Amino acid sequence: MERKTVITAQGLTKSFGSGSGQVKAVDGISLAVPSGEMLLIMGPSGSGKTTLLTILGGLLHPDSGSVHIEDVDITRLPDKKLTELRRRKVGFIFQSFNLWESLTVSENVELSLNIAGVPGRRATDKAHAVLTELGLGARLGFAITGLSGGEKQRVSIARAVVNDPRLVLADEPTANLDSAHGYEVMMLLRNVARSGDRAVVVVSHDQRIREVADRVIWLEDGRVKDIGRLFRDPVCGMSVEAARAVSLEWNGETYHFCANGCRRDFEANPEQFINRRQAGEASVRPAMEGDKE
Amino acid sequence: MTVPVARRNLLSEKGRFAISVGGVAFAVLLILIVVALYRGWSQTGEVFEKLPGEIWVTQIGTSDPFHSTSLLTSGDVGLAASVEGVEAAVPVLSRQMLIPIGDGEESVRFMALALPGGLQLSPDVVAAYAPAPGDIVIEETLSRKTGLKEGDRLVVRDVDLRVGEVRPRGGDVLSQFAFVHYSDAERIFGVGDIVNYAMLIVSPGSSVDEVAAAVSAGNDGVRVYTSTAFAEAVRKEIDEAFLPVISILVIIGFMVGVAVVGLTTYTATIERAREFGVMKAVGASGGFLYRIVLTQSVILTASGFVVGLAAAILLARLAEQMVPEFVTDFRALDLAGVLVAAGLMSVIASLAPIRRINGIDPAMVFRA
Repeated sequence: MERKTVITAQGLTKSFGSGSGQVKAVDGISLAVPSGEMLLIMGPSGSGKTTLLTILGGLLHPDSGSVHIEDVDITRLPDKKLTELRRRKVGFIFQSFNLWESLTVSENVELSLNIAGVPGRRATDKAHAVLTELGLGARLGFAITGLSGGEKQRVSIARAVVNDPRLVLADEPTANLDSAHGYEVMMLLRNVARSGDRAVVVVSHDQRIREVADRVIWLEDGRVKDIGRLFRDPVCGMSVEAARAVSLEWNGETYHFCANGCRRDFEANPEQFINRRQAGEASVRPAMEGDKE
Repeated sequence: MTVPVARRNLLSEKGRFAISVGGVAFAVLLILIVVALYRGWSQTGEVFEKLPGEIWVTQIGTSDPFHSTSLLTSGDVGLAASVEGVEAAVPVLSRQMLIPIGDGEESVRFMALALPGGLQLSPDVVAAYAPAPGDIVIEETLSRKTGLKEGDRLVVRDVDLRVGEVRPRGGDVLSQFAFVHYSDAERIFGVGDIVNYAMLIVSPGSSVDEVAAAVSAGNDGVRVYTSTAFAEAVRKEIDEAFLPVISILVIIGFMVGVAVVGLTTYTATIERAREFGVMKAVGASGGFLYRIVLTQSVILTASGFVVGLAAAILLARLAEQMVPEFVTDFRALDLAGVLVAAGLMSVIASLAPIRRINGIDPAMVFRA
């Protein structure tokens, strides 16, 4: 089945400040994300990730370039139309959750439906259904302050998807979570992309989650940098770039490691790591490009 | 039904909510008490509307019954009585006097009617305004101020009077009326055949205004009032003296209310600026956000109004127990007016927070 492009950005630029103090936060970025795909935008702090996400979400106007969500050029829309478009087509997930603390779990999600014009019982029922699907069925009436970080982020996801948007934008969704919950949230987001036939764009500098994404782009100084193919370190499981990795030829295959320590462990007993991977790591993580070359 | 964001927002800080409701309640109480007092005091002069005469004849130049002297001769009364349409011309003696009460004195407005025989008056009117010789009818306010009760005796200028009846309190706050028999009044403060007023009872079927005009035309030494105009002449004094003061107090109360509601709503909005930013980011329209702010204000003012109304009525009753002249009259129309004013408070108080919301950049939600 052909996947339709949900969001397309062409030649985006955005600068802040002026004169010698001017900073180019986004510098000629183009990208396209089809439905069903989760794109991960990575990069160091200050690389322009969040600015790019804000532009993609129609919350910030670029200096130049265009953003199309489906067939609509959002950079040309007036504020009122842009607000309507965000309401119908875009879901947001934030680093610090940004939930209404005076509302219950269910009400936080219902509110998104109310904003979209769905009132009363219909909103309540739909919110409950989505929250239950995300494993929060027992927390519907809970206060936000009584939830763990992982649960809060799941409420955020529910809020983002409850209006069935075509595009979900997530800003550092794992930043306030431990690795287990971070991984869980990323898997949920990938599921959001695939099962909901949506495009999901995640901005993060969390190296732990890159393997979950369908595609990763690296941002530095506002520009996309080619990071090459990703490989899995068979010892520690970390994703590594071939260009930066420590490599080893064994039994006719090339393996890539995050550091010499992992390579030494591998050399001491290669079968142990190869067998472990074959025994079913694939069931707990997605298959990755370059798992084995 | 949508999620009650405004209510949750306010109630998340219960202490602040209670203080704010108290502030609005105070403003509402101030406005209501002042207006109710004004209404209560504005009933002054109602005795002239309750007495059976429709027209009052006074000496030329008399402005009102309380602040102006009126002296008429028996000839003036006779002239008025002769006008067509006048069924009876009742001579009236009236004077503000000090009466001895225990070790002190109390100012009382004596009034006596020389009702002719043959008039068809209700027993209640007769009992209230035409007591038997030696009796005095006083009002509850005077009774409470002086301690005089039914059956008590008092001596005024050697005239021995017995309290025949204590009438329920009327609206005459400026002066407490005491009705005595005409013969007793003559002995206490009468001067020959001089009377103070002539109260005219108009024949059935005759026009009050036409009769009043005819009386006035027939005697250029008198000034003629309808009973309503005579009562209003008293109220005019109250309006001129009190209305400017009351207006200022009402404006102060209104401003206090606006300030309290405005400050609370503004604080509640500022505190949740980020959450409002999230709403903007996820597509909330301006109208949706304004409704939240306005609802916050309305909840505050409505709660304050209910508490303030209850407090005002309670306070009025308590004050009345302590100060007999604290006469209040809570009228439905005034309550509706204060409710409208409270609604106006809500709207005005919402302006600053709405302005603040307009200034929130939804992109702020991406800043950590």
